[in-house]
Amino acid sequence: MSRSGPFFTLAAGAVLAAGLAAASVTAAPALRQVDAQATAPPVEVTTTPGQTASPQQTDSTQTDSTQTDSTQTDSTQTEPAQTEPAAVDTTPKKADYAGVAQGNGGLVAIAVRDGRAVAYFCDGRIESWLKGTAADDTVVLKGRHSLITAALGKGRAQGKIQFGDATWRFVAPLVRKPSGLYRATAVVRGARIVGGWIVLPSGQEVGRVGIGGSGEPAPAFTPGSPVDYYGVPLRPQEPDAFLDDLAP
Amino acid sequence: MTHTQVAPARGAAPLLVPLLAGGLVAVALGVYGRAHAPTGFAVGLAGFSGPLAMKAWLTTGAALLAVVQVLSAMALWGRITVTGSWVAPLHRWSGRLAFVLTVPVAFHCLYSLGAQYDAPRVLVHSALGCFFYGVFTAKMLALPKRGLPGWTLPVLGGLVFTALAGLWLTSSFWFFTTLGVRF
Repeated sequence: MSRSGPFFTLAAGAVLAAGLAAASVTAAPALRQVDAQATAPPVEVTTTPGQTASPQQTDSTQTDSTQTDSTQTDSTQTEPAQTEPAAVDTTPKKADYAGVAQGNGGLVAIAVRDGRAVAYFCDGRIESWLKGTAADDTVVLKGRHSLITAALGKGRAQGKIQFGDATWRFVAPLVRKPSGLYRATAVVRGARIVGGWIVLPSGQEVGRVGIGGSGEPAPAFTPGSPVDYYGVPLRPQEPDAFLDDLAP
Repeated sequence: MTHTQVAPARGAAPLLVPLLAGGLVAVALGVYGRAHAPTGFAVGLAGFSGPLAMKAWLTTGAALLAVVQVLSAMALWGRITVTGSWVAPLHRWSGRLAFVLTVPVAFHCLYSLGAQYDAPRVLVHSALGCFFYGVFTAKMLALPKRGLPGWTLPVLGGLVFTALAGLWLTSSFWFFTTLGVRF
């Protein structure tokens, strides 16, 4: 037996790790392009209440979604004059924004609902869920190691996201479903699964799914369809469905 | 091969360097896992449905080889009556293969996720992972040394096996019992 054998063993492990590191550093980014036209969802009978389908779709959720939409549209459009005439709050009551974090390439999505706001940032590798408030045409959202501040107006949210030590600017236009922010949660035998996706009108999509301290780029998601995560069917929902869970 | 002249074995002094080196490895891995920002992504072996499945199965492979390790070691030490010139190579190569199988797993854990202390399972797994490579390094460095106490290799080998068993329980076993046995 060569007495240097054990050293070779250790060295082989180190070399293998170094090779994996080199490959990981140079690996392609995790954003993917899905066909924008193909995002028209197949008929999904088991849609949960918050997961309303696209407007042109007629299924069992049509009634609900119409009512919801009209209510929210009314409150958005016919902004009643506040008691203080000098300061009319033009902050949208219901708005969804999504865009690219410049310099990072990841996506940012913000959902505003009656003064509350949730946001998700993800580049496929790093991610953050944020929650906060919307007032005076401004949203401020906080998450783990992350902070988003943005101005709302002119049909877009414009601001910056701080993630760890990095800061990226973004301009996120208003988007309509099936574009926007999606979140799916599930509990399997005590383990909590959380998935997030952002879909842009261009068809660009990014997402991540995590379980038990581990996370990975999310499987491809077509709005309206469930996503299979190691055999667990995840049903990504729109912000109306998870706003209360995320931002109580 | 010439025998290195060493002072007559006095206790565990020759173990100092292997143990120190192993301790350094364990601490370095823990510090790296904690200090660097998890990248959320790492290159691994293709062919699995995802990195969790890849890690679960590679760890299972390593754990099965670790059982071979214990049995072949018992044979080498005369604890079970299996003899043959193939036992030592079997022990050596099953160990090497097991170690190599763990490297992509540990790399993904440390590089992509980092050491975490949020949940008991994850905490134990993180600590055991660092400990495993520390003890493994110590054992590798102790192997060529002469004049070590007789208990050195059984103890170090036993610790490596125990650590790997704990790692398997806190990862693969959790994966299989939570999400099912899937590739």
